Amino acid sequence: MSETAQKTAATAMRPTKPEDVASVVKDAILNGHKLDIRGNGTRTGYGNPVKADATLELGGLDQIEFYEPEELVIRLGPGVTMQTLRATIAARGQYLPFEPPFWTGLYGTDPARATIGGTMASALSGPRRLFTGAARDYILGIQGVNGQGEHFVAGGRTVKNVTGYDVSKLMIGSFGTIAALTSLTLKLWPAPPREQTLLFDATDLDADLVRTAEILRAPIAVSGAVRLETPQGWQLAFRIEGMQEGVAEHVAELTRRIDRPVAATLDDKDSAAFWTTIRELEPLSAAPDELIWRINLPVSQARGFIDVARQRGGLSRCFTDWGGAEIFCTTKPDTATDDAVSRFRALAKACGGHATLIRAPDALRRSQGAFPPASDAVAALSTRVRAAFDPMGLFSPGRMTVA
Amino acid sequence: MTMQMPPADPAIIARREQLAAGLRAIVGQEWVVSEESERAPYQCDGITAYMAMPLLVVLPASADEIRRVLLFCKENGVKIVPRGSGTSLSGGALPVLDGIILGTARLCNIVEVDPLERIARVQPGARNITVSEAASPHGLCYMPDPSSQIISTIGGNVAENAGGVHCLKYGVTANHILGLEAVLMNGDILRLGGDYLGAAEGGLDLIGVLTGSEGLLAVITEITVRLVPKPEMARVLSMSFSSVDAACHCVGAIIGSGIIPAGLEFMDRKVLDAVAPLIQETFDSNTAALLICELDGSKAEVDALVQAVTAIANKEGAIEVRASNSDAERERIWRSRKLAFAAIGKLCRDYYCTDGTIPRNRLPDVLAKMAEFSKKYGLNYANCFHAGDGNLHPIIMYDSRIPGDLEKAEEFGADVLRTCVDVGGVLSGEHGIGVEKRDLMPHQFSAIDLEQQQTLRCAFDPTELLNPGKMFPTPCRCAEFGRMHVHNGQLRFPDVPRF
Repeated sequence: MSETAQKTAATAMRPTKPEDVASVVKDAILNGHKLDIRGNGTRTGYGNPVKADATLELGGLDQIEFYEPEELVIRLGPGVTMQTLRATIAARGQYLPFEPPFWTGLYGTDPARATIGGTMASALSGPRRLFTGAARDYILGIQGVNGQGEHFVAGGRTVKNVTGYDVSKLMIGSFGTIAALTSLTLKLWPAPPREQTLLFDATDLDADLVRTAEILRAPIAVSGAVRLETPQGWQLAFRIEGMQEGVAEHVAELTRRIDRPVAATLDDKDSAAFWTTIRELEPLSAAPDELIWRINLPVSQARGFIDVARQRGGLSRCFTDWGGAEIFCTTKPDTATDDAVSRFRALAKACGGHATLIRAPDALRRSQGAFPPASDAVAALSTRVRAAFDPMGLFSPGRMTVA
Repeated sequence: MTMQMPPADPAIIARREQLAAGLRAIVGQEWVVSEESERAPYQCDGITAYMAMPLLVVLPASADEIRRVLLFCKENGVKIVPRGSGTSLSGGALPVLDGIILGTARLCNIVEVDPLERIARVQPGARNITVSEAASPHGLCYMPDPSSQIISTIGGNVAENAGGVHCLKYGVTANHILGLEAVLMNGDILRLGGDYLGAAEGGLDLIGVLTGSEGLLAVITEITVRLVPKPEMARVLSMSFSSVDAACHCVGAIIGSGIIPAGLEFMDRKVLDAVAPLIQETFDSNTAALLICELDGSKAEVDALVQAVTAIANKEGAIEVRASNSDAERERIWRSRKLAFAAIGKLCRDYYCTDGTIPRNRLPDVLAKMAEFSKKYGLNYANCFHAGDGNLHPIIMYDSRIPGDLEKAEEFGADVLRTCVDVGGVLSGEHGIGVEKRDLMPHQFSAIDLEQQQTLRCAFDPTELLNPGKMFPTPCRCAEFGRMHVHNGQLRFPDVPRF
């Protein structure tokens, strides 16, 4: 379990109304207090540990302001739990296409407490991101409080909107370093009525990824493409979703194009259960003292990276997602050192990609940072962008950056 | 027609030849246009009602030249208006008298199409359609398809976050950008994201901020877009209704049923009458509105969708539903929509088209309001728009020879946009704010909201030289925001001057 998940700052505040969030921020300004902003704090192990004087928990803002299924839109407080949100929209046949993972299993926290605010602030997107876009693609508008205690609005509730800067997107993946969100407006989508997953025995990694890319170029609605180790050995898994008529046709086309026998077929509930394990990184079977990484890199480099990371990076187990453009892996307990982490990052960089530490001891994330280091120009601009919202640097200091 | 812009600096205008010489040293003799006759084509963009002669037109050939041009302009206090093909429908590329046009026409290459990663890396001046053409041999396409796609550039599309007919199902430009290279006014070159899916993970979403920033933040020098498989097939339904309300309800019923068409367009009777002679077709005299609905996917899937949508339309009282049975028929049905604006252009001397977006279920209310405004201003109008996304494009007809007519048309448009905001919508769905909707921003955003956006602008361009006078009704006053860090607590600006 992450250390930060257990400890909270000296003072914890849990407002239940948006106006109280502004009051908390104004008090922090007056007292010169830094705030650690979170939902219910189930994923504080993701990102860098924050050194703050007080915790601002937005989990109390847990109301759904409106849900209009026929308009495919919902506006809700950041504290609405993922379980509540998913159940509410599933009842109307809708879903969040970007398939956000919980990752609470990785951090030893309670999945029932994971919030939509935390999900969006952490830009959590799952396997379907390859087909439907990421968390950022489903935010329509936000309301929040800036570092001066001012309540502000950005975006709106319509799918098409180019009115002013897209400040809403800036909030996605900002880990509470820009504003304290008080409301989010999300675009929803009709959930496909049917899904089917086909598993095939893997061959050579490069050949498998090239074949996967061919399939992803075909007009087949593939909404998941992973290569992973199963009890049956290394396998390729493809998910196809849609209406009954479409799924049958797409599955036929997929099996024709992949030109190897189907090892297993998973229907609907079984298929959904399979992708839940992928989403939650269960194939890694990560031991408590192993580091967990996400590598984003060109598909063409996946093979090279895995080889070199096995030889020289302490890579233990891995699987590829997004057709090979994303690798999740663990590294052995002895890689929990500054040297080993920076060496591992260098391997990813040499392959044209970058490496994010999804789980590592606090001290390591504090010294090395959970996120890949930005170029000087991007880092300087990011600092100025944060200052534009939070000029005194009150919000979640150090969460995304290393001092 | 005059649009209030930041005051031009006569000292800059007086130094025109000297500045031209300095810029020629960067981009080469022939790539700085200074002859008035040669600058004239750059006086306006897609909104011809607004015109201004640019100081100079500068056409760089590389990111490094752009960087040096920006630094030169910063040193000399010269304003910069970036421009692709100049098809903006909000005056986004409207020149300023004391500023240069920075054109991307020479940066028009598709640098790379990578079928393995399913991406294309392109220069900002590459035309939208050329990306799909280059991707086509791999079975891929670039989905965002603004109706200007044969001429508008990807750089302009990114700056405006362009939409198009197919963005209902496939998303707008912002959903298709994986990487950007851009130059800031301080000369920093930003490389954001990259040439593969997920390249931008792990930092602030600065790509999201730059997309749709209308040229006020940085100059984009290279773009990596996501390519997707070309749909296997598509069929189109043409559905006519005896009332506008019935057509609007049908839009809601289709989407409410869980079907997301590839495109869902609305045309009213006036548009149909204008189009009819051009396509040698007549429309049933009871038809008050027509919906065009495109459905794509695999064959069985599309056939099932056609059946489902047909059933919905019949239930919603459609007079007639026709489905295309071949690509030729599909093209024919689309022709009426594609010719709509040209056809209206034949009915009147001038027209003004605006771009508010509303929740779909408010379509009947807002369309009824438009009829009232039409009476109020004595101007005719027609409606042809992206119904699926509630993105309105009222076409307001006027005659620029009649004094006051343009102003009435603008007021009519502004009334429509204010109505859109009042029902929970926004000022612009896909055309951008530019100068056209700039002064309406306070109707949608509070002073604090706008200040927040302006301080964000200052983080990118504290000089405020990039595309000044666009998007915000007041100057950003970045210098004051800079001082804000020193004087905590005194953050309000009660006396901000308007342009």
